[in-house]
Amino acid sequence: MSTLPVEISKLLGYGANPPLWMEVLSGVIGASIIAVILLLSAAIAGPWAKRKITAAFTDRIAVNRVGPFGLLIIVADSVRLLSKELVVPERADRPAWDLAPIILPFSALLGFAVIPMGSGLQLADPEVGLAFVFGVSSLATLGIVAGGYASSNKYSFLGSLRAVAENIAYEIPLVVTAASVVLFAGTLQLSEIVSAQTQTLAVIAGIRIPMWYAFLNPFAFILFIVANLAEVGRNPFDLSDAPSELVAGYQTEYSSVYFVLFYLGEFLHIFLGGAVIATLFLGGPAGPWLPGIVWFLVKMWAVFLFTQWCRSAIPRIRVDQLIEIGWKGMLVLSFANLVLTAVVVGVIA
Amino acid sequence: MSTQEEQPETEVVEEPVSGVDYDELEAMLGDAVIRRESHTNAEGFVVRADRVHDVIETLKDDAGFDHLSLVSAQEYADRFESIYHLKKYDDPTQEVSVVVPTPRDEPVSESAAGVFKTAEWHEREAYDLVGVQYENHPDLRRILLPETWQGHPLGRDYNQSKPQIVTFEEHRNPLEGKFEDAEADTMFLNIGPHHPATHGVLHLETVLDGEQVADVEPDIGYLHRCEEQMAQNGDYRYQIMPYPDRWDYASAGLLNEWAYARVAEDLNDIEVPEYAQVIRTMGAELCRIASHMLALGTFCLDIYGEFTAIFMYAMRDREVVQKLLEDLTGQRMMFNYFRLGGVVWDIPEPREQFFENTRDFLDELPSRLEEYHDLITDNELFQVRCVDTGVLEPEVAKDFGVTGPVARASGIDYDLRRDDPYGYYEHLDWDVVTEDGKDNYSRLLVRMREVEQSARIIEQCVDLLEEWPEDDREIQSNVPRTLNPEEDREAYRAVEGAKGELGIYIRSDGTGKPGRFKIRSPCFSNLQALPAMSNGEYIPDLIATLGSLDIILGEVDR
Repeated sequence: MSTLPVEISKLLGYGANPPLWMEVLSGVIGASIIAVILLLSAAIAGPWAKRKITAAFTDRIAVNRVGPFGLLIIVADSVRLLSKELVVPERADRPAWDLAPIILPFSALLGFAVIPMGSGLQLADPEVGLAFVFGVSSLATLGIVAGGYASSNKYSFLGSLRAVAENIAYEIPLVVTAASVVLFAGTLQLSEIVSAQTQTLAVIAGIRIPMWYAFLNPFAFILFIVANLAEVGRNPFDLSDAPSELVAGYQTEYSSVYFVLFYLGEFLHIFLGGAVIATLFLGGPAGPWLPGIVWFLVKMWAVFLFTQWCRSAIPRIRVDQLIEIGWKGMLVLSFANLVLTAVVVGVIA
Repeated sequence: MSTQEEQPETEVVEEPVSGVDYDELEAMLGDAVIRRESHTNAEGFVVRADRVHDVIETLKDDAGFDHLSLVSAQEYADRFESIYHLKKYDDPTQEVSVVVPTPRDEPVSESAAGVFKTAEWHEREAYDLVGVQYENHPDLRRILLPETWQGHPLGRDYNQSKPQIVTFEEHRNPLEGKFEDAEADTMFLNIGPHHPATHGVLHLETVLDGEQVADVEPDIGYLHRCEEQMAQNGDYRYQIMPYPDRWDYASAGLLNEWAYARVAEDLNDIEVPEYAQVIRTMGAELCRIASHMLALGTFCLDIYGEFTAIFMYAMRDREVVQKLLEDLTGQRMMFNYFRLGGVVWDIPEPREQFFENTRDFLDELPSRLEEYHDLITDNELFQVRCVDTGVLEPEVAKDFGVTGPVARASGIDYDLRRDDPYGYYEHLDWDVVTEDGKDNYSRLLVRMREVEQSARIIEQCVDLLEEWPEDDREIQSNVPRTLNPEEDREAYRAVEGAKGELGIYIRSDGTGKPGRFKIRSPCFSNLQALPAMSNGEYIPDLIATLGSLDIILGEVDR
């Protein structure tokens, strides 16, 4: 499978091995296309979809005055947020305070570089793709910690400390569970993991059930979804911003553009979580009739919807309980899952 | 002074004079008692200012008066006076007052804080507003007014028109330097006055050890609106009734109005027609449902976070009650519906429509509550958060004078609707709800089950009202336009508000306005127990515990 920059270079007549300047140019074009898709998703999700979804859960109507279905609220909100004053706390730790809101969205965007989104939309396809995704996405914690610490606000500080504890406790189960998928597929390359899921698992009443790892190993799927909730910081694990306890946690002191970046970063992270789940467990862009990218976006948004559902319906747990569930529950279960998978794969193969 | 110590006149069944043997008590207290006084609700012992601790301790330990309901203080032309209103949790009709006069030039009186924890805050308030000094008080500071305030506003010498000039030096951040100990391994955190989970303007001075609460001290007074003084400037008949709506403003208005109605009717010997009592009972229970729904919704905000669906569901159901109350009273929140001697008008026409709407609501309610139980109390994560957190032992609760759903969740079987009956409650069939869990979970459960009981009461009231013969619908008794109770008549009466025992003490000075009007706010006493409940807990549990207390700052600060 060729990647998006290679396709672009072929399209422009430079072939599969273009000169360096063309390689860079096609890379930039490819990256822009993917960034536009994602930023569009986040723009729809943040100011509009989130409101509509939450409203549906809580028996309300939400935005319906600005444009059709209130869609123009996206424009109105952007203008509102960007025209706000940027308030900088007096004792803020300046370089760190400014860098934090940049780290968060960009770590998520970087993760998307290796995700096969279908219809040929994949920026790069390294052999260590999965490791790369986990590597860059956990950089987000760095942003949260830096932002919380540099704000010199006690609520922010508590929020960022919680983020560290949460990340350590849940990153390991997340990665270990993903490793069980790797055992099935026998590779870390994401395009290979996707193509391994195209085989047929069973045919029931004429309908072909594909060999998605969610069907093959539902246990790992559930573990991964739960750990992912903690990874993206949504109920019941939204301890790092914990709105009714810590005001707004690590982002308490941020306003204006910096706040927008944090907000954007959060949504991109949820989407990255959705993309990883779709790739590892739901066959990536696979699906009937419609082009791959559509199916991929549908799956990604389904995970987003799930996080919003959790937000409306599940209580937040306490930090000590979070650690307990992470280390005593999730970690043990994920290792059990890994060992079992290894045995099963070893016996069959 | 009146020697009357009967039960309120509003009752149909005349109960015997409360079973307290005051002569025996007087003998028990010995030479500490100077003389005896008779208040409308109970006998009062005038005791020596240096023997208060002993007297209250004797009454608590030997005579069983384990509930210090209220400490009120006032200034006369020749003396200051503190009154300790004592009751029994087992039988609140057994009351006794301890009156402590102190000379004006040296208003020093012994503190009772060593006997009852709740006296600590009440005495601080008396010191703050009236100016009585309490000896041996652990922490005699101002409580409602800022530390820099000059003078005591309810004292006779206080100059209302003199501006409060606070120098810059005094106005400096009072916390500065106080908590900056480089050696300490604790962290000081201000929760509030502007914080999403303080349910109003409340300031919690919190000391954290990691994420655990090492110490928390509520700092109140941000919403102090001089409600007592405003009531002292209004006439009994009309001008005071609008104020109670504004104490516990979160839809418990009629319950508050009843507190004033009860004490003022007692003081002026006013009868209330039975028909009006039934309407009052129905209205009050509608208010209780509305208030508990709000408590449930905001508590879930604290536990779930800002996006929870349950808050909106609770608001949706509360809105139905609110509409009923609006139909009944003409107002959504500030009802001003009760009058001394009855209510202002009858059930709105067409009556059938109102009863039908009420019945529709009552029919819907069980399915709604089931939904809440599915979403909240049956949720295991919710149980993990709420069970065994914010534990309030019954002995501690009594020490702090905790009442209402909070007390009942600690297993204290205390409900004034049953124990000190008023209105139409004793003729109706309903139960007092108690739980033994003592934790946040029990407090929520008690409120949810009380909603069911309130619905039962309303249903019976609607039945009664529907059948009521048309020529017997007397909504108000004949009350004179101006009321001038005899001079020095004193009464303390309480009703079961949404948050607990809401009482009012009034002393008449012979004019058409109260000489002293003192509010016993249940939230004030309940909030004082917060440190005892949350020390050693995590921050989220501190927030949850605060939410489960269901305080309304308008009532705490008055």
